[in-house]
Amino acid sequence: MAAVVGHCINIESELGVPTVPLIISQFHDPVQQNHVIQKGMPALRVTYLISPVWGKTREQIRKDIVGKSPISGKMVMQDIVENLTRPLTAEEKKSGSREQSAGPERFTDTPDNLQKFFMDNRMTDYMPIILPTEEKVHEMLKGTSHRADEMVGKMAAHTQMVGIEVFPHWSYTVKTVAINAVMAGMKPDYFPVLLAVASTGKEALSVSDNSFTEMLVINGPVRKEIGLNVGLGAMGPFSQANSTIGRAWSLLSLNAGNCGRVGTTYMGTVGNPMNWNNIIIGENEEDSPWLPFHVRNGFKPNDNVVSLFEGWGIISAKNSKYSAWTKEMDFPGIIKNIFYDQDLLFGATAVLSPIVAKFVKEAGYDTVERFTEFIMTPAEAQKPYFRSPRDIQIIVTGGSNNNYYSYGGMRYNRSVLIDKWR
Amino acid sequence: MKWRIGVCLITVLCLGLFCGFPTRDNQAQAQAKAAAEKITVLSPMGKPPALQIKPLAPRLDTLDGKTVYLVNDGYLSTDILLDEMQTWFKANMPNVNTVYRLKAGQGFTAEDPKLWAEIKEKADAVVMGMGH
Repeated sequence: MAAVVGHCINIESELGVPTVPLIISQFHDPVQQNHVIQKGMPALRVTYLISPVWGKTREQIRKDIVGKSPISGKMVMQDIVENLTRPLTAEEKKSGSREQSAGPERFTDTPDNLQKFFMDNRMTDYMPIILPTEEKVHEMLKGTSHRADEMVGKMAAHTQMVGIEVFPHWSYTVKTVAINAVMAGMKPDYFPVLLAVASTGKEALSVSDNSFTEMLVINGPVRKEIGLNVGLGAMGPFSQANSTIGRAWSLLSLNAGNCGRVGTTYMGTVGNPMNWNNIIIGENEEDSPWLPFHVRNGFKPNDNVVSLFEGWGIISAKNSKYSAWTKEMDFPGIIKNIFYDQDLLFGATAVLSPIVAKFVKEAGYDTVERFTEFIMTPAEAQKPYFRSPRDIQIIVTGGSNNNYYSYGGMRYNRSVLIDKWR
Repeated sequence: MKWRIGVCLITVLCLGLFCGFPTRDNQAQAQAKAAAEKITVLSPMGKPPALQIKPLAPRLDTLDGKTVYLVNDGYLSTDILLDEMQTWFKANMPNVNTVYRLKAGQGFTAEDPKLWAEIKEKADAVVMGMGH
């Protein structure tokens, strides 16, 4: 609904043409309490429809538009006509600038009360946090040479979208990022990784009703320096670095980017459990039979790089796709099949254990590029499925104890250098 | 001699016990004090931008003889909704000229400069759906 509101406000203010956005009544509160205010036209005249509209028959819709709007109580069509013709009030003619505040810079209370305060004011993920005292934040800031008041970036809850700005961008400094890093339990050593991610302005909590999640792939010597687990259980919560970097990104998005506000800047229908920590992967470069992900994307082997992905999430390929156990696994063929099972919106990413990656290499694919070419090649008499090799991504991580791997509709977004933020 | 050593040991033990109790008490008191002690923490919030408040566009005196664009933003069933609204206008307000348009571009938020130019030139009013 934010898009319709945004377009109508632009038409009103830039083209001088009166509009009536049609919104289902379910969204009255977020529209009135947030969208019209944030877009700068608090008095925008909206006609609210009986919800839902999608899924109803033509006859039901015909009946609904001459029925009463659940908000105004007037017949829907009459409401539209009046919204276009009723003279403007003084309030509706107002213009000017209004400062916004995100609240005080400090809070003082007992530790227990502060934990509750942060939770009640939705500044956490409802897990306990490390309380960000000045001392702890000062310690975190030792993880970077950048000044505390340096502006890192701007974030809004819609960066995956194109076109109009649906939600305004909030800005944040190195210190704001450090505060959220402390809350998540990060060590100062990890701080440059989070700063690099924050510098992109990419939010971890998407507004979409699709319930998306995000993923970070970390390459370079930094993986060992900060103790990222790239072996057994690599994608799980088995090291402090793996467990806190993604959480900090979500907290930063929530607090510094105004994302993840359920009902306004978060509309995920069923939600996504990966939003707590996102998907954090240190690539197992040492055991991979191929060049690391960052090197394949133009970086040097010793560059420390974090790469951002977005999409629906990652699941176990063995359990979701193949229930039959076979003695001789055709890994290239199987992986090709899972890629073709994915929606094209995000393409797909396969996260292979080193042992599966080695199987693929031994089957004749000595580079990821050659394997990608094999996946891109359609079966005889079929049209190509993927638009570009970029729709297919391969990451290697985890242990080598068995032939397991995961996959999901995750799209590669961009990579950034971490060392710039040391 | 032996009984003197025994008495000394018992005395030391008793002293230890008596001193020990207050120590445990002190620890508990210190913990309670820390829990009750107020601390100051920093806000994790970013900085929102200033809002630029815009006035609504002037309203029309009447829709009679005017052109109302019915714009479909692309959500499911909006085509049926706007088609039914167009039918309603024809039946109930025949002097209103309605024009149906599907906004171009990938996604609801995508801009459609061609349509915006057309609206600026030809539309007196816009009804856009649908916020779902």
